[in-house]
Amino acid sequence: MSEFNSNINDEIINSLKLILGNQNVLTDYEDRYCYAYDATAIGEALYLPDAVVLPENKEQICQVVKIANENNIPIVPRAAGTNLVGGCIPLKGGIVMHLSKMNKILNIDRNNLICTVQPGVIVGNLQQEVSDLGLFYPPDPASLKVSTIGGSIAQSSGGPRGFKYGTTKDYVLGLEVMLADGTLLKTGGTTVKNVTGYNLTQLFVGSEGTLGIVVEATLKLIPKPEEQQVMLAYFESINQAAEAITGIISAKITPATLDIMDKNTMTTIENFHHVGLPTNMEAVLVLEVDGFKESVAVQTQQIIDICNKFGAKNIRVSQNQQEADELWFARRSAFGAVARLRPNVLTEDAVVPRDKIPEFITKTREIFDRYNLTVCIMGHAGDGNIHPNVSLDLRNKEEAENFEKAAEELFDTAIELGGSLSGEHGIGMLKSGFMRKALDENSIKYMKEIKKLFDPKNILNPGKIFNE
Amino acid sequence: MNEEKTKFKNLKDYAEDVYKCTKCGLCQSVCPIYKSTGLETTVSRGKFTLLNGIINGKLKFNKKIAKNLELCLGCKACYDFCPSGISTEEIMAAARHESLKTNKMGFIKGFLLDNFRSNFRLGLLKIGLNIYKFFLFVTLNFIEGLSYFRLLLKSQDGKMLNQVQHDNSSNKFIKYLTLFNSQLRENIKYKKLKPVKPQSELNIVYFPGCINNYVNSSIKNSVLMVLEKNGFKVNIPKNFTCCGIAARSAGDFQSFSELAENNINQIPDNVDYIITDCASCGSVWKFYPDFVSQKLVNKAKLLAQKTINVNKFLAEREIYFPENIKISKKITYHDPCHLKRFQNVFEEPRKILNQIQGIYFKEMKDADVCCGAAGTFCVSQPQISKAISSEKAQNILDTGADIVCTSCAGCKIGLSQGLIEKNSTIPVYHPVELLAELYLKDEK
Repeated sequence: MSEFNSNINDEIINSLKLILGNQNVLTDYEDRYCYAYDATAIGEALYLPDAVVLPENKEQICQVVKIANENNIPIVPRAAGTNLVGGCIPLKGGIVMHLSKMNKILNIDRNNLICTVQPGVIVGNLQQEVSDLGLFYPPDPASLKVSTIGGSIAQSSGGPRGFKYGTTKDYVLGLEVMLADGTLLKTGGTTVKNVTGYNLTQLFVGSEGTLGIVVEATLKLIPKPEEQQVMLAYFESINQAAEAITGIISAKITPATLDIMDKNTMTTIENFHHVGLPTNMEAVLVLEVDGFKESVAVQTQQIIDICNKFGAKNIRVSQNQQEADELWFARRSAFGAVARLRPNVLTEDAVVPRDKIPEFITKTREIFDRYNLTVCIMGHAGDGNIHPNVSLDLRNKEEAENFEKAAEELFDTAIELGGSLSGEHGIGMLKSGFMRKALDENSIKYMKEIKKLFDPKNILNPGKIFNE
Repeated sequence: MNEEKTKFKNLKDYAEDVYKCTKCGLCQSVCPIYKSTGLETTVSRGKFTLLNGIINGKLKFNKKIAKNLELCLGCKACYDFCPSGISTEEIMAAARHESLKTNKMGFIKGFLLDNFRSNFRLGLLKIGLNIYKFFLFVTLNFIEGLSYFRLLLKSQDGKMLNQVQHDNSSNKFIKYLTLFNSQLRENIKYKKLKPVKPQSELNIVYFPGCINNYVNSSIKNSVLMVLEKNGFKVNIPKNFTCCGIAARSAGDFQSFSELAENNINQIPDNVDYIITDCASCGSVWKFYPDFVSQKLVNKAKLLAQKTINVNKFLAEREIYFPENIKISKKITYHDPCHLKRFQNVFEEPRKILNQIQGIYFKEMKDADVCCGAAGTFCVSQPQISKAISSEKAQNILDTGADIVCTSCAGCKIGLSQGLIEKNSTIPVYHPVELLAELYLKDEK
């Protein structure tokens, strides 16, 4: 058991126990085995941490980070572990810092429309709490029932509502970050406007735990829209659906959600959940409009007209909350349905300019077909963010290799079309090899310089974002 | 005696299910244990990872993993939520079964389970409980007497006397004595009631379960009275043993199988219904077919279909509700995991409660989240169990209910345990107990 992957030793583990208490330091093999993964399918590979710590306050985080820095021990912060690019996987061993115990909403300020939270607060819980006060925290990653604010900030996660409301980056006003040397950095503040020097806050949003550990965040809230309406519009071709998307946007309507699912996705959902999706259509648009009651009615009618104009075969509009839930259920069960097809499912994430969506979807299908892989394509069409969900069995070597090749081609295609590697999942360990495809040398050089400045010993989530 | 028995399913039989966990982690949102511990090792995703390690030969069963496997309530909440549809509860039982081969059960749990294996031991336990009850009665009355006395000294007009509640005492020990007392107190005594309906021809067997037989027969008395009042005659075979739920959950499949076969053999072939009042006892009949010898499999399957929870049985029929008797109380209902998720019965008890004159029904938050008792879990993991029960109790208190109803002997313990932690005296009833009270008042 004293086989360590990093510079950690028994003496250091004892100091960790002194700082955090015995119950908050896990070193048994079986415990560490449960912290070697996140939601990324990586097959048989095993990256064991040497210790898992569960801090309960900032002071403990500070002391742990200091010890790690002094001894050159990697430290990987995580909470719900729902990352899809291996962001929480301790590639170089060391310490995994599980922030599940720092899950308090510290303050909700209704006058200033802000809230202050600990990193382990679950996004869905925060949304519920503020919603009870008539407020709204829009970012809605699919995992919101478990994923946390800390993780959302680290990955700058988005979700279906990103089209109208933006993503996590648009809601972070201020941060308290524990830096690699154990000093606390306070960025931003509590105001929406703030141009006092460099915008360090945004530097940390999406930094994937490589620059510092977010220990507290001040977030922007907005008033909750009065009403929502959900619609499904079915099309016989991807092109028609894409034209409808362009039509909606050029008519200056901004739906909260403008998602798309392809035929394969609909068929798969229908096979497992029987929600009444047609299996003979090529695409469905999932639309949600919100706002004041009157405005929702107007937007809904406009969208119906536009979809009809571009050849929608059928449009389902929710008449009440229950129907709205049913329509959303159809969309939300997509991942689960794909997960039931084969043992493993890999959710990819790429962005392209909005008008390139039909081309990108067609090419994606062509790529995965060529590699004999089952792919269900869905995504946030409004912001050009497409998620091909690939269903496979990673124990099958050929399939696993084919997936690698197909993924690379997928990113090449996205970049060719003027897009990029990730819309909302991040780079992590899975896409670090593709960074040079998407960014120029100078960008990478300055990013690496920034990393070196904040974390000269490379102890914070090493091996992520950049290939070493 | 179990020579030609069907082989029990073991972990290997679930290898594909365990492997297909996509590690999405959504189980964290519903796992009551994860909410209480915050540890990845305690949520289904973590357990599947360990089990997958065992199946692959990378890990071996040991004490640590055995302890880890204990940390599952078997509440099935994650199954409902799992995108891959993996049945954690079944897999945990199989894993514990396998784990038992290398790691013996804990002493207390083993002792508890042993008792359920024989009616003789349960009988002894009952005698013990009666002696204990007597002393408890004396002790509590003494304490109660003392607090009356103390209050009398404090309040001159004696008005405060009505407010004396022994569990307001700060002493945890006394609180728990009170808990046991409330569990043991027989609220409803059996009385022969005049049927209001003609005698039904249905051939009904009633499976009362251990709590009714050995601890407190209040619910049994109520079931009998309610059924008889509505014209249903029931038959209780003498040689029923424990349903075996605790043995199955603990992975002691051999004992479970023996109990299952005995219970199945007690039931005549021409039975129309097997009525259960306890959620757990009812759910177990559905497991029997997988655990009995070949010659009993068909009968077990048939009986599994004929097993019905008393709430469902009553809700499906036009039963008697006295028009002039009211219970003017606010009531909330806790869904036992074994009733809602294992038997899909959750509307029925609400339907019954809502039909009682005068009742104001108020739904609690998270009514179908586990109460924390989970069979022997409350004994083997008291801390986590209490934390979960406490949360449940808070949700009950938030409704402002006068009475909380549930349909499971185990949940009654979980709810009482939580309520005591919160210094509450809200009584816990089975819906049939309310009906029985109603009928008793009606005949007065």
